[in-house]
Amino acid sequence: MGAILRAERTDRAAPRVDQLGGCPGYAVPDPVYGAVPGRPGRVDRPDLDEQTLVVRAQEGDAAAFEQLARRHQAALYRLAVRVLGNPTDAEDALQDALLDAWRRIGRFRGDSAFSTWMYRVVTNRCLGVLRRRPPTAPVHEMAEPATAPGRSPEHVVEVDAGMDALRAALRQLPDGQRVCWVLRELEGLSYAEIAEVTGASETAVRGRIHRARTRLAEVMGPWR
Amino acid sequence: MAVNRGTGTGVEQDGAEPIELLACGRDAAQVWDHAARSELDEHERGCPHCAAAGADARTLDRLVHRMAAEPLAPPPSVMDQVMGAVLAELRPPDLLSLASPYGPARLSRPAAAAVLRHVVDRVGGMQARSCRIAPLAEAGGTGPTAVLVAMTVTAQFGVDLASVSARVRQLLVAAGEQALGIPVCRVDIDIVDVFDDTTPRGNRS
Repeated sequence: MGAILRAERTDRAAPRVDQLGGCPGYAVPDPVYGAVPGRPGRVDRPDLDEQTLVVRAQEGDAAAFEQLARRHQAALYRLAVRVLGNPTDAEDALQDALLDAWRRIGRFRGDSAFSTWMYRVVTNRCLGVLRRRPPTAPVHEMAEPATAPGRSPEHVVEVDAGMDALRAALRQLPDGQRVCWVLRELEGLSYAEIAEVTGASETAVRGRIHRARTRLAEVMGPWR
Repeated sequence: MAVNRGTGTGVEQDGAEPIELLACGRDAAQVWDHAARSELDEHERGCPHCAAAGADARTLDRLVHRMAAEPLAPPPSVMDQVMGAVLAELRPPDLLSLASPYGPARLSRPAAAAVLRHVVDRVGGMQARSCRIAPLAEAGGTGPTAVLVAMTVTAQFGVDLASVSARVRQLLVAAGEQALGIPVCRVDIDIVDVFDDTTPRGNRS
């Protein structure tokens, strides 16, 4: 809907706020969003839509940004853990990425979903962390995951061992493949959304995901 | 998985290797997607190469689903530290001057905007989105401290827009003077979207 009402008011004899039933006890109004755990006095506003929160955050409303960040932090953290391979680095990356998002939210134009934009901020932060890491052992040097010497996959607790093996195999994928695979298989994004997040073409994304799947299937062969 | 490594004709991937074709000529990635969604076509169901690719997909899929379902949540300290940094970074220069007989008094413009949004949010049937507060001098007026408030709002479907807008306008003028100490000389309200009360919370566009 476009602008359907535009009006001007110059009446200075405005009624008191509390007389109008708007904000009782309004002496020091607190533009709060919620009873957020750990932040006494703040009231959660789950009814506010995402676009409203984004606009408010873009205008400097930290509480609106906090609500946006709380809505998305779990998904962003999962992405960071899967891409970086450990929770400590993921926490640091998420923290830095959310601060990046606050500083740059004015540049978000709404061309993509806000969640896509947030995924992009976190992805870029994670890739930066990975670039600064010392190189890891190449794939062929990778120890067969969770297959302790003398024990076949049949002799280990298969489910947990399989998960450990998958985690280890995931860590050995090239970074670009791992990011695309996580976004697709664990976060459920479409190829087009992943292309927006990574800045790669949709065809390239599709190729990376397929190569990641093939490699993981190969490594996971013993757990079939 | 049986692949045709020698004669694959898949599209080049931004300088990366092309997606390999299966020995039967099918696109391996497409077969995988079909298998993961249990949507194999007739050829894929009967072809041994596609069947092998499908078996790979299904085997991996079981573990992938388990991994996706693992509960992972950041510790509360992450948001606490982020918001601590965010609040420490709030820029002071964006200030409104308040009339005060006791010396200069200034109010953060984002804080004033948040107060006015809160006023609108408390009115049934309307929610504030953008709130711009401009000193009238900037808007072409004469008073040094009076302000123009320009708001965009969303309205609940079915409410009397004229009536609710009039009430919101009165409240904003009152809040400006009584809560902020800023005379509000003009209030522009643009209704930019509607919401239905039945729309799931947090999913409105």
